Amino acid sequence: MEYFVHILVITGIYVILTLSLNLVVGYTGLAAIGHAAFSCVGAYASSLLALNYGVSPWLGLLIGACTAAVLGVVVGAPSLRLKGDYLALATLGLGVIVYSVAKNWMAVTRGPMGLPGIPGFSIFGVQISEVWSYLILVAVFVVLTYMVMRRVVESPFGRILRAIRDDEVAALAMGKNVNKYKMLVFVVGAFFAGMAGSLYAHYITFIDPSSFTVMESISILLMVVFGGMGSLKGSFVGAATLVILPELLRFVGMPSSVAAPLRQMIYGLLLIVLMLKRPQGILGTYRWK
Amino acid sequence: MLKQLLLNGAIIGGIYALIALSFTIIYRTVKFFHFAHGVVYAVGAYFAYAVFSCWFLVFSEEGSYLSWIVAVLASVTGAGIVGVLIDRLVYLPLRRHKAPNLVFLIASFGVFIFIQNLLQLIYGAQILTIRTGPVKEGHHILGAVITDTQILILVVSVFLCVALWLFVKKAKLGKAMRAVADDPLAASVVGINPERIILAAFAIGSVLAGAAGILVSLETNIEPTMGMNAILKGIIASIIGGIGSIPGAMLGGLFLGIAENLGIWKISAGWKDCIAFAILIVFLLLRPGGIMGVKTQGERL
Repeated sequence: MEYFVHILVITGIYVILTLSLNLVVGYTGLAAIGHAAFSCVGAYASSLLALNYGVSPWLGLLIGACTAAVLGVVVGAPSLRLKGDYLALATLGLGVIVYSVAKNWMAVTRGPMGLPGIPGFSIFGVQISEVWSYLILVAVFVVLTYMVMRRVVESPFGRILRAIRDDEVAALAMGKNVNKYKMLVFVVGAFFAGMAGSLYAHYITFIDPSSFTVMESISILLMVVFGGMGSLKGSFVGAATLVILPELLRFVGMPSSVAAPLRQMIYGLLLIVLMLKRPQGILGTYRWK
Repeated sequence: MLKQLLLNGAIIGGIYALIALSFTIIYRTVKFFHFAHGVVYAVGAYFAYAVFSCWFLVFSEEGSYLSWIVAVLASVTGAGIVGVLIDRLVYLPLRRHKAPNLVFLIASFGVFIFIQNLLQLIYGAQILTIRTGPVKEGHHILGAVITDTQILILVVSVFLCVALWLFVKKAKLGKAMRAVADDPLAASVVGINPERIILAAFAIGSVLAGAAGILVSLETNIEPTMGMNAILKGIIASIIGGIGSIPGAMLGGLFLGIAENLGIWKISAGWKDCIAFAILIVFLLLRPGGIMGVKTQGERL
């Protein structure tokens, strides 16, 4: 039972990642494929603050998310000038760079050894350690993220995002500062990814660079595409299906040396089939251009 | 030290050039990023490994000339077949749907993940090495050390690059490939079937990727994830050389190899990837046409 709850917590964290990437990819049409980089920065920032300076995880969560947002500005400023597959490559590059910084900056991140013993969250001085309490905590953050995203996509701001996605030149002709909006949405996406990363770090209490690889970024993209581009409900469907489904492989008693690559193979096959049959995803409203 | 770094840079640059070139041959005809090309290269290395290890089991000898010929043939044809199958099974239906570039790229990620993990399922995640006889001491040339294997890598990659360049310039099929690269519609008007040219491009490009895979596995280890690094470097080399340009791909590969190796003169070797991507981003922003200054389609950059 505890294991099942653990899977739900992980699902919740992926829902936050998927929702935030959907805002960038599905609603604004920016092919950004480096989402794990932002959650990596958020996770490392708040873990290091907690471990080295005793900063409370709550504050660390906020600082981690803000650090990711700052990285969003730094990365977005040059790369958002690129379009389509070139933007995809540049953001993929960002993913590789952040991963290799986490792996090689031994003095700070301890490289591949990772950071063990990250403190968990506490409420009024009481440490939260049970899985159940984390489920509630993550659920609160998921609801919070969902509400923010809904506000964003239903507001005039969200309408401009869809206008940029559907016809950038027309949006520009309507007097909208397209670059400013792209930048804003990129930063919002990065902020929530950083938050998810920080939640993950304080929940698992251990992080290492291998949780934030390029493959991880592609998995998050798959969740967005599978659930549906430009559909918030789709993000729930996508993240939940793709986190829970591979766990079934473990239930049928497959050793992890077989289950791990098999899970990735299923992901790969799903990406191919989706692109061939339904590129907008199950509940999607937007097709790639 | 500087000479050694330059030499190491040239050797790895030769491999990058070969990967970039094989990628470019395909890119020119289809105009999207065939990311799964990296895993075709890994397949080449694994085929060579499979032949060598079977050979050792059956004849209990290693490094004989016959085993070499069989291994090279097996991995080159194996890679070629995998590359062509990817095109037929995944890209051809997408072309029929007239799918946008990004859909091709994401489907390509899917193919990449699928085959990489298939390799991992069969061979395990551990690092493998090809045994090619006893280790010999390198030669001292101009103050740098170079081993026999490295000389082989350098010679073969230069030879393949030049051969391909001549093929595209002189041979009838090569000319047809250039025609399709320039304008597929006009090419089909004069009786060239673009689909056949695309097929040929995938076959030639994948064979070359397989060859690069064998060359690398002589010098370093093989692991299922090797394709990612290779394709990233190949794409970076193609872009900094000038996307779609054949001399550009060669220059870009050489430039990238040397730049990476000079970069780690002062900082640790783990930062190579950072250097490569930093160069890519600088080029994308300041000189999107690359060293050769090719014209990029205005709508995409």
